[in-house]
Amino acid sequence: MKKAVAGLLSFCMIATIIAGCSSNNTDKNTGANGGDGGASGSKVKLTALITKHPLTQELSKMTWLQEAEDRAGVDIEWQEVTADWDQKKGALLASGDVPDLIVGPNAITDADFAQFPGLFQDLTELVETNAPNVKTLFSEKPETKVIATQLDGKIYGLPKYQRFWPGTATRQFINQKWLDNLGLQMPTTWDELYNVLVAFKEKDANGNGDPNDEIPMDFAPTGTVAFGFFMPTVLLGSLGITLTDASGFGYFVEDGKVKNFLVDDRYKQLITFLNKLYSADLINKEVFTQDYTKYQSVARGNGETAAVGFTWGWEITDRVGNTLAPQYAFMSPLKATANQSEQVSWSYDFNALNYGTNMVTMSAETKNKEAAMKFINELYDPKVSMQVLFGSLGTNIEDKGDGSYAILPPADAAMDPGTWKWTSSWADNGPMYISDSLNLTLGTDMQSVGKQTEPLQAALDAVDKEKDVLPSMFIKYSTADNSTLGINNTNLMNLALAKWSQWITAGGIDSEWDAYLSNVKKTGLEANLEIMQKYYDEYMSK
Amino acid sequence: MAAQTKVITRKNANHGLGRKPSIAMEFVRDYQLWLMILPAIVVIILFNYIPMYGIQLAFRDYDFTKGLTGGEWRGLFYFKQFIDSYMFADLMKNTIVISLATIVLGFPAPILLALLINQVRWKHAKKTLQTTVYLPHFISIVVMVGLMNVLLSPNSGIIGHLLSSLGMGEVNVLASTNTFVPVYVLSDIWQHCGWNSIIYLAALSTVDPQLYDSSKIDGANRWQTIRHIDLPAILPTIIILLVLSMGSVLGTGFEKVFLMQNSLNLPVSEVIATYVYKIGIISNQISYSSAIGLFNTLINFIFLFAANAISRRVANISLW
Amino acid sequence: MGLIRKSTMGDKMFDAAVIVLGLFVFLIVAYPLYFVIIASVSDSTLVATGKVTIFPKGFSLFGYNEIMGDSRVWTGYKNTILYTTLGTLVNLVFTLPAAYVLSRKEFRARRVLMLVFVITMFFSGGLIPTYLLMKGLHMTNTMWVFIFPFCVNVYNLIITRTFFESSIPKELYEAAAIDGCSHFGFFMKVALPLSKAVISVIGLYYLVAHWNDFFTALIYVRSNTLQPLQIVLRDILLSNQVFSGGAGAGGAAGGYAQKYADQIKYGVIIVSTLPILFVYPFIQKYFEQGVMIGSVKG
Repeated sequence: MKKAVAGLLSFCMIATIIAGCSSNNTDKNTGANGGDGGASGSKVKLTALITKHPLTQELSKMTWLQEAEDRAGVDIEWQEVTADWDQKKGALLASGDVPDLIVGPNAITDADFAQFPGLFQDLTELVETNAPNVKTLFSEKPETKVIATQLDGKIYGLPKYQRFWPGTATRQFINQKWLDNLGLQMPTTWDELYNVLVAFKEKDANGNGDPNDEIPMDFAPTGTVAFGFFMPTVLLGSLGITLTDASGFGYFVEDGKVKNFLVDDRYKQLITFLNKLYSADLINKEVFTQDYTKYQSVARGNGETAAVGFTWGWEITDRVGNTLAPQYAFMSPLKATANQSEQVSWSYDFNALNYGTNMVTMSAETKNKEAAMKFINELYDPKVSMQVLFGSLGTNIEDKGDGSYAILPPADAAMDPGTWKWTSSWADNGPMYISDSLNLTLGTDMQSVGKQTEPLQAALDAVDKEKDVLPSMFIKYSTADNSTLGINNTNLMNLALAKWSQWITAGGIDSEWDAYLSNVKKTGLEANLEIMQKYYDEYMSK
Repeated sequence: MAAQTKVITRKNANHGLGRKPSIAMEFVRDYQLWLMILPAIVVIILFNYIPMYGIQLAFRDYDFTKGLTGGEWRGLFYFKQFIDSYMFADLMKNTIVISLATIVLGFPAPILLALLINQVRWKHAKKTLQTTVYLPHFISIVVMVGLMNVLLSPNSGIIGHLLSSLGMGEVNVLASTNTFVPVYVLSDIWQHCGWNSIIYLAALSTVDPQLYDSSKIDGANRWQTIRHIDLPAILPTIIILLVLSMGSVLGTGFEKVFLMQNSLNLPVSEVIATYVYKIGIISNQISYSSAIGLFNTLINFIFLFAANAISRRVANISLW
Repeated sequence: MGLIRKSTMGDKMFDAAVIVLGLFVFLIVAYPLYFVIIASVSDSTLVATGKVTIFPKGFSLFGYNEIMGDSRVWTGYKNTILYTTLGTLVNLVFTLPAAYVLSRKEFRARRVLMLVFVITMFFSGGLIPTYLLMKGLHMTNTMWVFIFPFCVNVYNLIITRTFFESSIPKELYEAAAIDGCSHFGFFMKVALPLSKAVISVIGLYYLVAHWNDFFTALIYVRSNTLQPLQIVLRDILLSNQVFSGGAGAGGAAGGYAQKYADQIKYGVIIVSTLPILFVYPFIQKYFEQGVMIGSVKG
């Protein structure tokens, strides 16, 4: 046994010596052949981990990344994580075994910084001395510095700004062809919507001879953790509530006061309306049990025959497929009643879509921090940032030579531009600064997102960004407050989501509402509102 | 070898005198046994017992800078937090209902299946049946739940259609608080019954064929053969596995429940494991979730202990 | 078996009942399995909307192309086969002798030791201390982390012990001991050959556990060359899922993945299960009724 181990050891040593020799040789060779290869011998070795999108190709195939590493004089050994990051992270952080750089959207959270002090490098100094591009980001978009700065004034993770994304994630679609077939107008109020959906239900709206295969309305499955995009909570906008970033746990701001719609009378009104729709069989019966795959599949209908009349989604071809997309029109927010004076609103998601927290962090143990920072700085370079988001110049982006750029269509014709972007590059998962002055023609996917947002634009513009938007992206809670909020929200959502779906499908909100309110109290909602109001006021007074 | 025999003979002699050998003498006598079990002991101590200092986390704050065992001592704080929590009663109820139903219905199923397979006389049919029933075990939970969603859907699923054609109306079994537990348990049986029957089949294979022959000569029918030969042959295995299964009264798995959850069945489907997950993803709650985990473990262990005590008294079969 | 067969009416009824029940069980289990197979070659949208029931529709091998075309799958297979064979071997070497010892009634430490073992089924230190231990043993990011840690599964140990207790008659050892047979000898020459059934069962349990294990790799392994099949398949599966996170998490990527998402989901099951299917018949033959006792006596 001992012999075997000794043998193995000596074998390993010989192997490393040989490997060492050969790698020296190759270095020399590239030095002789390549133009800039001379620097490769003195390159700083770094380790890094990235939590990338599962679609994203291997990092070694991204030319822009190779170039950025070369320019920064670093050679990075990447570990690419596509799944189960939270589980991996626990062990990694607790053992103190972190790589030099960690890249990914909020891969390391503020709570992690607080829980694992000393593990990550405070970047404040390094940004000053080695990262002019990050400094530009902070000075041109001062709110990004707020995102980056922890309660103790230190900066451990750097943010991103990607500018081009619309003011909301949820767009509203209705099947125009069905409306035309039945001679109907696009609805503008809840009552009109109800009538249109009834017509969809009772008549053969899609004209295939079967009056019963239409699903008048469908929305994304609610799940059991929080509300999300593409759910009927956006209709709260009709009643003047502005959701922020989908308001997953119900919190929103109205006239500078933090509230929660789960205990708001307007929420009760919405559920009553939805229950009316559900009882009339106008909402997909499986709306609360289907998974997201099914939600998307059903809307793809059958060839030219559409299945769903009214729904929400990110973009229409994504939602119903290329074949059916032309049948749909894009709707403005609905009024609750025809004669309402209240300004209608819509879910305001600009912050969540355009800013990102802790996109890149550095280990406190990194040997050559300057070099690592130089590499980070490269990522925030205007030209590199563009490539982080959309892919390499040449294959994914065209340089028009006059300082303007255009996104190229996918090389693989079967692919849509959105998928192409996620496949080619780090896309939204990377650290970047896309400045407002960059002259870039977007791909067809983003252009159509822009177009489909137009009917919602008036409502989004009318949102009072000072007094009606919850700036959750910019607020940092203390560890203790954060954990109180977390536990109370888990309790709250367990109660609220169950009641939400029960009331919509089976009714009974009128008789149960008061008991529900007193149960909500027990979940600790009031404490949460107090905490959030305190931090909100503090933030607004800055 | 000769020495060994002597030692053993002496042991028998000692027994004859009603005196127990001293510990040292026993150690010498059993040195081969000790050698055989030593590797297992080493491995268990190394990989299971050494990390157990981590249990302290349930009683301490987690303080990274001071190491796992350096955080402030909080005693039973986190346990109290859980027991006093708004969700506690519901979580306990749901967890116990789901796991008890799984034990009560899921435990006998593989035994019956093994007895059934054992009765199939046609060799090929027997093998086919046996191979088929164990296959679902390999379906991962994600796919299993996906499969259930497709097949049970009231609009489009084949089982959904079957239920409505049986006159049960268009019930959405995925949506109701009444059907969650049955669907969970039955799908579990579907998936693991065949796999779990393997051990019983193995036990049945050790039955001496002469026993069957002689029972036939005695004129016993097939039922009687099952009752008097097959069942006694697998009884020790049944009892041991039953005792072990009592150690999972709070042991619903996480993934399947979580994936089967939707807002409509949430009142019965939120269990301890899913709750811990949800508070964990929102904010790091290492100590709190350790405490909940330990609480879980303690209850399970108490049940196992009780079940084992009963089994020892009634059937003279014991885990230890 | 069966020297004199007196088939009574009752026995015939019994056989008929067995056939009906067996067929019923078979169909209930087989249909969903068949469904997995046809779903793996059908258009996923048609599968999700319930249009695929008996025959595949929108036939395409995209899923399998995608899985098999990924070079990591082959590395994964190689690694998994290595970890599984070696791991199972180590499992058996550690478990079988221990189970034998614990089945010996005269071994007085057995009760204490059993308790020591059983406790580990319930209490554990948690992920963090275990990770630190593996790191301290320099096992992280090596293949040994798949082989040695937790190589004695107490559940399997108990099953084996129970089996030894009930199927190896006490008199057998006493007789052997008088013939001068030691515990070593008895274990190797008598106990093991008599227990092929249980050895194949727990061997199968261990083997399948290794085969399906992805958690070990997830936590302890970083290098791509060491990744087992399950991790690779999980990656492929995830990269073809439809993303529900909406725009923030890449909602626009959904459209493309939509058509084949489920194909891959079901294909993955088949790709990962097929090899195990081939192992089973070799193990199954040890469950043949009475084979063991007969062979020893003969």
